[in-house]
Amino acid sequence: MMAIRELKVCLLGDTGVGKSSIVCRFVQDHFDHNISPTIGASFMTKTVPCGNELHKFLIWDTAGQERFHSLAPMYYRGSAAAVIVYDITKQDSFHTLKKWVKELKEHGPENIVMAIAGNKCDLSDIREVPMKDAKEYAESIGAIVVETSAKNAVNIEELFQGISRQIPPLDPHENGNNGAIKLGKQTSQTGGN
Amino acid sequence: MSLRERRPGRAAEDGQDEAGPRAEPERCSSVLPWDRFSAWLHCVCVVGFDLELGQAVEVIYPPHSKLTDKEKTNICYLSFPDSNSGCLGDTQFCFRFRRSPGRKVSFCCFLDQLDRDLPVYLKKDPAYYYGYVYFRQVRDKSLKRGYFQKSLVLISKLPYVHLFRTMLKQIAPEYFEKSEAFLEAVCSDVDRWPPPVPGKILHLPVMGIIMKLRIPTYRDKPGTTQMVQNMHQADAQISMALPTVHEVDLFRCFCPVFFHIQMLWELVLLGEPLVVMAPSPSESSETVLALVSCISPLKYCSDFRPYFTIHDSEFKEYTTRTQAPPSVILGVTNPFFAKTLQHWPHIIRIGDLKLPGEVPKQVKVKKLKNLKTLDSKPGVYTSYKPYLNKDEEIVKQLQKGVQQKRPTEAQSVILRRYFLELTESFIIPLERYVASLMPLQKCISPWKSPPQLRQFSQDDFMKTLEKAGPQLTSGLKGDWIGLYRHFLKSPNFDGWFRSRQKEMTQKLEALHLEALCNENLVFWSQKHTEVETVDLVLKLKNKLLQADREHLPVKTDTLKKLQTHINDIILALPDDLQDILLKTGTT
Repeated sequence: MMAIRELKVCLLGDTGVGKSSIVCRFVQDHFDHNISPTIGASFMTKTVPCGNELHKFLIWDTAGQERFHSLAPMYYRGSAAAVIVYDITKQDSFHTLKKWVKELKEHGPENIVMAIAGNKCDLSDIREVPMKDAKEYAESIGAIVVETSAKNAVNIEELFQGISRQIPPLDPHENGNNGAIKLGKQTSQTGGN
Repeated sequence: MSLRERRPGRAAEDGQDEAGPRAEPERCSSVLPWDRFSAWLHCVCVVGFDLELGQAVEVIYPPHSKLTDKEKTNICYLSFPDSNSGCLGDTQFCFRFRRSPGRKVSFCCFLDQLDRDLPVYLKKDPAYYYGYVYFRQVRDKSLKRGYFQKSLVLISKLPYVHLFRTMLKQIAPEYFEKSEAFLEAVCSDVDRWPPPVPGKILHLPVMGIIMKLRIPTYRDKPGTTQMVQNMHQADAQISMALPTVHEVDLFRCFCPVFFHIQMLWELVLLGEPLVVMAPSPSESSETVLALVSCISPLKYCSDFRPYFTIHDSEFKEYTTRTQAPPSVILGVTNPFFAKTLQHWPHIIRIGDLKLPGEVPKQVKVKKLKNLKTLDSKPGVYTSYKPYLNKDEEIVKQLQKGVQQKRPTEAQSVILRRYFLELTESFIIPLERYVASLMPLQKCISPWKSPPQLRQFSQDDFMKTLEKAGPQLTSGLKGDWIGLYRHFLKSPNFDGWFRSRQKEMTQKLEALHLEALCNENLVFWSQKHTEVETVDLVLKLKNKLLQADREHLPVKTDTLKKLQTHINDIILALPDDLQDILLKTGTT
């Protein structure tokens, strides 16, 4: 008997680092060379098993452009986790990442799980951000870190598995009627009394 | 018998009610950008107040959306309060306006298909748009006149008041703090929504939250709500379950006119001209919507305007004194209407909608001549004498609820069920009579055109009331006959009867088609001349097209069978004819 749990996850990071490509690889196992820039945010879901729970990721993939920056709080509000993405071939994108972390620390939900993804690791020959820098930084803020390639499907599953593991399991006392619903049970109910 | 089971079927012995080949319109194979958006919204507008010009549409999103100048003018005036009611802070309301004629109708046939599964009272009316408004008026010293006044408006064909109200409540406050990029983002969220399929749990993401809802279908049992539930308490922050897409808080709306609900039901049922004079657009719009919905599952067929202003393009048409007042329900706030609509037969005047902690005192219907133009007391002003005796039970029940502090939602459910039972008691005898107009199965011959429905006869119908009248389902006494007589002359009867007629005619067509399929058509063609056979093939092909076009309620295999018949007949013909017939489309 598996319980299903909805987890809001948002993707943050500079424009062009591959946020949508990561989501697309994770949800549809697909990579598109000419993916169009995200406007505002896009939304997808994927359910994965974790222990005796099912995690339904509600993934909000946000736009990296500066003009959408002020909308970000709506997406990280109520999020269980944030995936902050940088491009290992662009030092600037790593700076932007640090700014996002700072904003999340100041304004984000208290126990938000932070996961850092150094994307485009298939291009390591033109790398600008050493793996070591990212690791040290992640450690200093208590975040998960992994280098990914949405193009070659490297570490994408692992990234989300890492997030799943960091999500504390539901309180067994709360696991009753309102804690989660049993799979296969209709969520609709006839009211009218 | 409930209204839901009204589908024509007297002659139908197959018992198959569900229409046949109805492809799930889940995935439209070629969804273009903005197609998904258009299934829900026509556009989003920002209306501001220009100190020189007055109200002006500042932004329309998506930028390519088309609105005529007339439509824009209407939107401008309807998006702002038109009287000096103060309205400080945030106000939400809705309006409805006529679309400019000559526009291309719906782009995608699959949306019309969705429309067919809706209960009749939720079906789109292509001639009208709804506007859902979030208006903010706050002091802002940095601005010239010291006030910030702006409305965020959603324009849609869909009457999903609660959905759009909820959505605006979520997005509008953020929008006023943010930039145009916000609107762009909202619209791109909406452009990712699944199509508005009735009967499915839909998840609609917008600006970081997910709205979960279910659009009703005509198959739902009236009076029940299929609720969507949140999975987890903590989810409330990231997703919200909407208990309804279209319903208003009935009890709160009717609270000021509590003692007259049954009379108001009669007035709405009969399509009487009705005006609601309210202190603000939110009260006028909610009251009008509540009135229109009180005869559900019957559809209110005349025009109704939850909020109507003196600038409206139909102002002259609706307020003229040279004709009798039209069959419409108007919600107004401008005191000017008190004078303009003085000659209207029924006027509801409401004060501020009070929190239902206070029990309204017993009030009498007020005489029209006592309606002084400006400062009249709240109440219902009419000289109308209800046909039915007053049901004291419901009033007592609701009063008791108020005393016991029963939540308004529960009061609304009671009230809604009361209206539903009243409407059903009224309409069931009509349903029964109209079903008897259906020709018998034995009258359907494959070789003759389908038989006609028998004529509706008022006398015959009235005769049925003796034995099978509303007394079977309602204990309410009074002049039911008089009420029916009056109703038969009303636009609501007309609309109702027409849709029944259409359904029954289609059912007859479908039965005829089935009768044809059960014949040995190849055998028939062998006994007839070539010309007659060709004629038959063409006719059958046309039938197939019609069945597809009008979505006739035939069984799925009937159409396949008919196609096989056609092919078999063609194959029995000489080669040259075969070629021609296989290629020929039909007219």
